[in-house]
Amino acid sequence: MVTYPKRNNKLIPLAFLLIHSVAILIFTRGFLLTRTELPFHSTCSDVSLSPCLSPNPPIHHSNSNQNQPKCWTKPVVDRVVIIVLDALRIDFLAPSAFFPEAKPWMDKLTVLQNLAFGNESSAKIFKAFADPPTTSLQRLKGLTTGGLPTFVDVGNSFGAPAIVEDNFINQLVLNGKRLVMMGDDTWTQLFPNQFQKSYPFPSFNVKDLDTVDNGCIEHLFPTLYKDDWDVLIAHFLGVDHAGHIFGVDSMPMINKLEQYNTVLERVVDILESQAGPGGVHENTMLIVMGDHGQTLNGDHGGGTAEEVETTMFAMSTMKHTPSVPPEFDTSSCKQDPEGKQICISSIEQLDFAATLSALLGISFPFGSIGHVNPELYALGSSSLNLDNTKQPAVKEWLKSYVNVLCVNAWQVKRYIDVYSNSSVVGFSSDDMSRISNLYSAAEHHWSNSVKHILMYNDGNEDSTNTSALKAQIAAYLKFFSSVAELARSKWTEFNLSLMITGFGILVISLILQSLAIVHGDNKPYAVSSGLSTGAAFTLFIVLIRACSFLSNSYILEEGKVANFLLATTGLIKLRYSVMRKTMRKEAFVFLAMVSVLRVSIDIGLTKQAATSQFMSSSPTWMLGLAPDHPALTYAIEIAPILSVAALICVLYVAIARTHSEGIWKYVTVGSMLSYFLIALLWASESKIFGFDGLLQVIGGRNIIPQTVYVIGLVQLFLLASAHMFCSGKDKNWGSRTVALVSACSSPVILLSGKQGSMLALAYLLAGYCIMRLEGVERRTKSDGQNKFSKLDSVCVVQWSLLSVCMFFASGHWCAFDGLRYGAAFVGFDEFVLIRQAILLTIETFGFSIILSVFGLPLLIPSHGEKRHQLFQMYMLYGVISATTVTATILCVTIHRRHLMVWGLFAPKFVFDVVGLILTDVLICLASAFYL
Amino acid sequence: MNEAKKKKKLDSSIGVPNDDSISALAAFSMYLITGLFLGVGFWVARNKFSVDLVSDPPLTLFLLWSIEFPVVVIIFSLLRNAPEKCSCFRAIGRSILGLISGAFLNALGAISLGAPIGMQYLLRTVHWSFLMSVFTFVPATAVFGASWTDWHRVFASMKPSGNVEYMIFIPAYGAIIGGWFGAWPMPLDWERPWQEWPICVCYGAIGGYIVGQIVSLCAMFFLRKDEHLKVA
Repeated sequence: MVTYPKRNNKLIPLAFLLIHSVAILIFTRGFLLTRTELPFHSTCSDVSLSPCLSPNPPIHHSNSNQNQPKCWTKPVVDRVVIIVLDALRIDFLAPSAFFPEAKPWMDKLTVLQNLAFGNESSAKIFKAFADPPTTSLQRLKGLTTGGLPTFVDVGNSFGAPAIVEDNFINQLVLNGKRLVMMGDDTWTQLFPNQFQKSYPFPSFNVKDLDTVDNGCIEHLFPTLYKDDWDVLIAHFLGVDHAGHIFGVDSMPMINKLEQYNTVLERVVDILESQAGPGGVHENTMLIVMGDHGQTLNGDHGGGTAEEVETTMFAMSTMKHTPSVPPEFDTSSCKQDPEGKQICISSIEQLDFAATLSALLGISFPFGSIGHVNPELYALGSSSLNLDNTKQPAVKEWLKSYVNVLCVNAWQVKRYIDVYSNSSVVGFSSDDMSRISNLYSAAEHHWSNSVKHILMYNDGNEDSTNTSALKAQIAAYLKFFSSVAELARSKWTEFNLSLMITGFGILVISLILQSLAIVHGDNKPYAVSSGLSTGAAFTLFIVLIRACSFLSNSYILEEGKVANFLLATTGLIKLRYSVMRKTMRKEAFVFLAMVSVLRVSIDIGLTKQAATSQFMSSSPTWMLGLAPDHPALTYAIEIAPILSVAALICVLYVAIARTHSEGIWKYVTVGSMLSYFLIALLWASESKIFGFDGLLQVIGGRNIIPQTVYVIGLVQLFLLASAHMFCSGKDKNWGSRTVALVSACSSPVILLSGKQGSMLALAYLLAGYCIMRLEGVERRTKSDGQNKFSKLDSVCVVQWSLLSVCMFFASGHWCAFDGLRYGAAFVGFDEFVLIRQAILLTIETFGFSIILSVFGLPLLIPSHGEKRHQLFQMYMLYGVISATTVTATILCVTIHRRHLMVWGLFAPKFVFDVVGLILTDVLICLASAFYL
Repeated sequence: MNEAKKKKKLDSSIGVPNDDSISALAAFSMYLITGLFLGVGFWVARNKFSVDLVSDPPLTLFLLWSIEFPVVVIIFSLLRNAPEKCSCFRAIGRSILGLISGAFLNALGAISLGAPIGMQYLLRTVHWSFLMSVFTFVPATAVFGASWTDWHRVFASMKPSGNVEYMIFIPAYGAIIGGWFGAWPMPLDWERPWQEWPICVCYGAIGGYIVGQIVSLCAMFFLRKDEHLKVA
């Protein structure tokens, strides 16, 4: 083994780091769709930059709107009532004649159907298409910004859900409209300051069907009579919750729909009673819409037809609605049972923000890529033909619509240009030039002919004018549809071939890495029965863990799964140790430590359940002891400090035992000093020691943490320089490992808070037991001293599982709300991105990756040089990490259209990938340091 | 995996039988009796108390182990080592001790593997571990008593000698491995009532126990035959 080339060992981990990075980069390009949030806002004055007619001078009208300041387009409705019924399927509202079979939940909202299909109505039912992800938050964001929210909207709102992009609500506020909101509190999270009045109700309790709805109803009717608002938003959640709990085909769902029918009936009554000239609802538009659909089981989030197909009902209190020219009519018609022709139109939710902005006459949100829907716009434009009776209503409407579309197209083009210039990953130049061609063609047509028609409307040549207007509208619609198609392909569609390529590269790297372990292990005794049993067992455990990632349930309880497998390996080791009559104490201590970790994991799980939407919290770990019991608080204060003291003792013993002298020893002493400082900090923070005054004496609570960081950095610097200058002298890596691990551990413990020291102690004990139990199945009583130089794969698996358990036991979980942002500010008060990100990384992966990778050599109990074995262990550790990541990637690929893909699988993917890269980097560093 | 390991060990250790007090046929009839009383336990729970594992796990588990325990004790006391030195009552007495200590060890194992530790689960865990103890520890204590060498030989080294020891250790390992596999469906989000601790673990353990019995019968039958052939 001495002949093994030394240089090779250091380059191989680097090669795998590169392969993994490439694979993950390729996969991420296909999977994690990103969009950059632009900080720009539209303003009223922008419109002068566009080639379109500004709404003020040419169009003469004598409407009541005239005294209001004009913005981009001429306002056509005064007030809007938006009633959002969460998870409203299309078949809840559309008549059953449109579906192959009548189901019990259909035709319940009869009041809306009667309005839409009644004679000379100004109401319409639309089939609305949502874009995945079909979760409420993403949909509300999409509806209000007019964009396509992705999983990673790169912006400066990381963590807080408030929308920073320009949006419809924001534009309303800028234009002096008054907003009232009631219902789902997601709105107030997204728009914390925009509502003049809001009545939010908590939305997270899925089992509660009525609180939000009753609160909504209570405030809705009185508000409708008032005139102190312009836009009213009422968000009902009952149907969504009934679907989640009982499914679509259930009595609670039907009861909810019937309740909504009575509510809507009353809303319509109130609106119509006030709709006369001079009434508060003289020119009001009522919109009843779903934010997304749901499957028959009540699930939503993915992109199946049931989930994306929702519905919208729109009604204007002004009666005379111009009809839309048949070229732009999207309605599909059926015969109802009485033989009457009934039609529903269709609309994209993408177009909602633009259409509403046009109706209310405010500037369009900057990032909106939708277009003004002709039918919805027509519903509101009944005010247009009041003032001009000379011309037919259709023509008047066409003129108004073409100008709106002109502004709309200019705004979309502006966004696309700005986006591709300022975003990291913009659109490809081919796409950009295609879109630019379409736009310039439309604009050319506009300035050459249509503009003149609009400016000098003399009423002659009606047919040519109308066809020119229609051609203009068609050109604009073509431009819009190609923009929407491009945006969808960029922001909502996975690139499966990239994903599969990334996965394939990762699988190949796994095979190569496994070969690297076996390579060089060509000694005849290597494949003895003991080793092969251990290898098979290792494979079994790793494969079980990998397969467990294929189910969302096992991912949610990943900590428990890892703990279960770790305990299983512990039990197997216990059996062997009993069989060999050696190390029984260690085996028992190991199981005890596993039990300690599992309690800690349980506590972490309850924290996770409190915020996760997929888990129900079940406090199984409660011991019946009141949380504020004095003995308990005392123990909580004392135990961490005692653990730190124990760690100092361990380090002292470690120094005393080793015979090597020199720099390693001094580095370890530095760690003892750090530990002491940490204990001092914690003691001064708690009240029972009477050290309260200490912090004032030394000048603030940031001094100690900063000192610890500095000591850690100095230690690492000393170790690195010692390695560079004194290499070759000290071949014993036992003391080197102790020095390196202890140097890294003090910041980790400090950042982890008070649980950190106890966990570190448990980690140390469990690691010691793994080391002692190493190879116990091969050892017999007689050759207990005989150290095998072969690789014991089981102990590497145990170490890897233990590190996974440590991740969960230290209160983390694979979600962004599982990050402990508070840890980033230990020792610092102000925010500096890079510094705080490093601290957060150390806190998150400290125990599970940093300490476990650097501490791996401690598992080799014997002294002397076993460079090749250590290399094998690092490779094995890398293979185990890479296998789990490969399984996660496979799972993400399979479940890319799953309900939980954004809530659960994608965060897990991000955590795993970051963990793998970090592991690879650290393995490179460690093999440079140790080998 | 474990199964395979066990098989290998069995193949390599066609032991030297010291007492052949029981034939495969007798073992089979004893298994039938234990299986019958397990069924009786379920029947009593369902028809006399109108509970089952899902509706009231503690009571059902209590009924199961308290009905199964006397049967197992009586059967294995008849097979005890050195019957001339140790009275039947003594065997019964030590199996009660074995029941309690076995339950304790099983409970510890379950907790380290992740069994819930809340107060509301305490009773279930206790009764479950008693049932596991009946499957695993009670037969061995009834037969071996406190003889550590026998325990070690049979359970740790897996070098059983004679049919009785096959009867003890293969179903015991079967119950443990079955329970281990039985825990797998617990985290899944199917929201079935039997996913609660310890219902599916119980089913797994009972299933593993029965499979173990079948395997041990096969072992007796085929290994015996081998040996006869060899002797012949």
